[in-house]
Amino acid sequence: MSSLLELRDLSVHYRTARGEATAVRSVSLELEAGQTLGLAGESGCGKSTVAMSVLRLLPRNARVEGEVLLDGEDVQGMSWGRLRAVRWAAASVVFQGAMHALNPVHRVGEQIAEPMRLHGVTGSVSALLDQVELPARAARAYPHELSGGQKQRVMIAMALACEPRLVIADEPTTALDVVVQAQVLDVLKRLVSERGIGLVMISHDLSVLASTCDRLAVMRYGQVVEEGPAREVIASPTHPHTQALAAAFPTVGDPASRHVTPSEAPSDGPVLLRASGVRVSFGATEAVAGVDLEVRAGEIVALVGQSGSGKTTLARTLLGLQRPTAGRVLFEGVGLPRSASGLRAYRRQVQLVLQDPTSALNPRHSVYEAVAEGLRIHRVPGDEAARVAEALSQAELRPPELFFPSLPHELSGGQRQRVVIAGALALGPRLLIADEPVASLDASVRGEILALLLRLRRELGLAALVITHDLGLAWTIADRVAVMYQGELVEQGTVEQVLLSPRHDYTRTLLAAVPHDQRSTRPNWTNSP
Amino acid sequence: MIRHLAGKVGGALVSLLFVVALGFLLFRVIPGDPVVAMTRGRPVTGDQLAELRARLGVDKPLDEQFVDYLTAALRGDFGTSYVYSRPVLELIGERLWPTVLLTGTSTVLAVVIGLWLGIRGAWRRGSRSDRVSTGLALAQWAMPTFWLGMLLSLATGDLFPSGGMRYPDTPPDFLSQAVDVAHHMVLPCLTMIAVVYAQYLLVMRSSLLEEMHADYLTTARAKGLRDDLVRRRHAVPNALLPTVTLVFLHLGLVVSGAITVETVFSWPGLGLLTYEALTGPDLPLLQGTFVVLAGAVITMNVFADLLYRVLDPRVRAS
Repeated sequence: MSSLLELRDLSVHYRTARGEATAVRSVSLELEAGQTLGLAGESGCGKSTVAMSVLRLLPRNARVEGEVLLDGEDVQGMSWGRLRAVRWAAASVVFQGAMHALNPVHRVGEQIAEPMRLHGVTGSVSALLDQVELPARAARAYPHELSGGQKQRVMIAMALACEPRLVIADEPTTALDVVVQAQVLDVLKRLVSERGIGLVMISHDLSVLASTCDRLAVMRYGQVVEEGPAREVIASPTHPHTQALAAAFPTVGDPASRHVTPSEAPSDGPVLLRASGVRVSFGATEAVAGVDLEVRAGEIVALVGQSGSGKTTLARTLLGLQRPTAGRVLFEGVGLPRSASGLRAYRRQVQLVLQDPTSALNPRHSVYEAVAEGLRIHRVPGDEAARVAEALSQAELRPPELFFPSLPHELSGGQRQRVVIAGALALGPRLLIADEPVASLDASVRGEILALLLRLRRELGLAALVITHDLGLAWTIADRVAVMYQGELVEQGTVEQVLLSPRHDYTRTLLAAVPHDQRSTRPNWTNSP
Repeated sequence: MIRHLAGKVGGALVSLLFVVALGFLLFRVIPGDPVVAMTRGRPVTGDQLAELRARLGVDKPLDEQFVDYLTAALRGDFGTSYVYSRPVLELIGERLWPTVLLTGTSTVLAVVIGLWLGIRGAWRRGSRSDRVSTGLALAQWAMPTFWLGMLLSLATGDLFPSGGMRYPDTPPDFLSQAVDVAHHMVLPCLTMIAVVYAQYLLVMRSSLLEEMHADYLTTARAKGLRDDLVRRRHAVPNALLPTVTLVFLHLGLVVSGAITVETVFSWPGLGLLTYEALTGPDLPLLQGTFVVLAGAVITMNVFADLLYRVLDPRVRAS
């Protein structure tokens, strides 16, 4: 009896204009039915290439060596007809980013039914939707009418359409918030145990894998650097890269991953930004329903909540991009100006850092242009080049002159986010509002960017309001936490108070949804462990 | 939906009103005195000229002329042609159908050919057939229309008539008439297609190339779909969306684009009429054709917008 999936000495090379690049080097892995194999690593480590090679979905410029055995049959040697028959019927894929993996102009029901018709499988779309806890009427929706979590479930339902024995899930929960992530992971776990399918889970987030996988393989530069039972790999990682990955996803409550000492927080500093009774409604829906929030000088406040909780609308209101329906926003005790020029002056003081540096930067503007743009808009006097250089070196891009002519695509994700931060710093702001500042970054870079925020606070006294759905992030760098739920702040206090002894039910739900591993003993948040 | 429709139609009406006003102003700027042109070659006295001016109403101050024109136009009266001495709308009505026939046929064919070649080119990007078809299309697009038209009629010799729409001695029954018109239409049609299909090809090609890397195509392949099904069912419907807008925008423009072709092949359509009016300048006729041509663009724009909503569920929602 052969295993469900076996990779033997798999290597994948991509032919590019600059010669051949190796994406995967001699990877050997094995998976039995009813088991879950985790594949961890940062972007570019080759984990998605491994996934794609199983169904021979790699682009034409890929050259594959070694064997991919699906139920003992080598995928590389299959005829096109045989391969098409195997695709989806024997093994299916839950693709990364359900947003793009679904065809925007077809109803999701049609897309789920398509492989069933193709492979002559009988079954019902509504039964499949039911398995992923979606109502049958969701079949009539177009992808854009569904939320991120719902789309991801549609992908899973689609993957199960032909009852395959193997499912490959490529980052199935990235871009979902913790609560939805927990639901999607539960669905996957249940399917493995109920139907005995084999699951390959690919993720950059070790804590996600820790909570779902039996075995775990950590990849770096195309190679498997560590492999073993998931518990062991996470509890006692031997390879430094595994340790780094594990450290990048802090456990709430673990003192080692808290980078702020309580004494650092200036609890008596002057209040910089104050929202009092802020309400924002769009028609009948109230996105922000009466929020009181303070950010003191030099303080880092984390605003946490699920997507749709109104935190982004609140941030826009604080920046003066959205006028509140009721209530006031005060900066240093003065209400936000209403005139365009007054708002412009205000925004010099309060700068925004966006989630995805790749889309926040104009791809055709050099680093210098990107940083200098704010200076030009605000007509900041003085030597432009000197200010740009100073901002870049504050953001730890040194020597700054070296980065002046670079275009965003020549930089790494972390460097791009530093450019965005430098653009904000160039104006000498007092407060940064950062919307998920590290969500799109690799694990090893996250730590660096967070350290940068802390250092800016220490050296420049820069306050920050960090908006995130990631409680681990709040735990790492924030002084205070405000939890937002359905437009209201349900709980507010110091990080230790809120995250270690939460009072509100919703905070407990959020904390319980965080995928946890066995590294540290977890404080008991919920009544049911 | 109805609100959206009303908004679009309302916007279109405002644009049309603007066009009507612009039609007047634009043609007062072009050089040439219509009265002098009308009496060219005939001995006329100054009094006669003045009388003619008074009859045409061009002796009044400009603002008064404008008000007269505008009030008449809003009643649907675009005046009487100087040259033909017939109501402008009647002339336009006569010439509209030949133009619709010619441009309609050539646009439909150009769209089909362009989209088909564009899809083939994108799917086999960089292949020999892609390079040849794209290069050829670009070369034809770059050619001056009149030159290509003359070249075609030279090259085909007596095979196809190179002027007019029908022979005077064709029997009056429908079939013979239709065959005769089709026969006359070959050269102008070929010329128009050759010049415009490149746009459709290029837009379809680049829009499909953009979709080629879309993740949902990988999903479709992973499902086990054959390559041509991946293309037909998943890639093309998405890539068609931007093309639809272009096709409809162009449908409006194509009517005015027919000016050259109709002039070269003396096809009795709106284009030729515009050309004749310009040589006058036959001001009322020019204003009339201008409004009709611009109106066609505006109408097609509204259609494109509505069709887009039908085709793309994402637009429908917002």
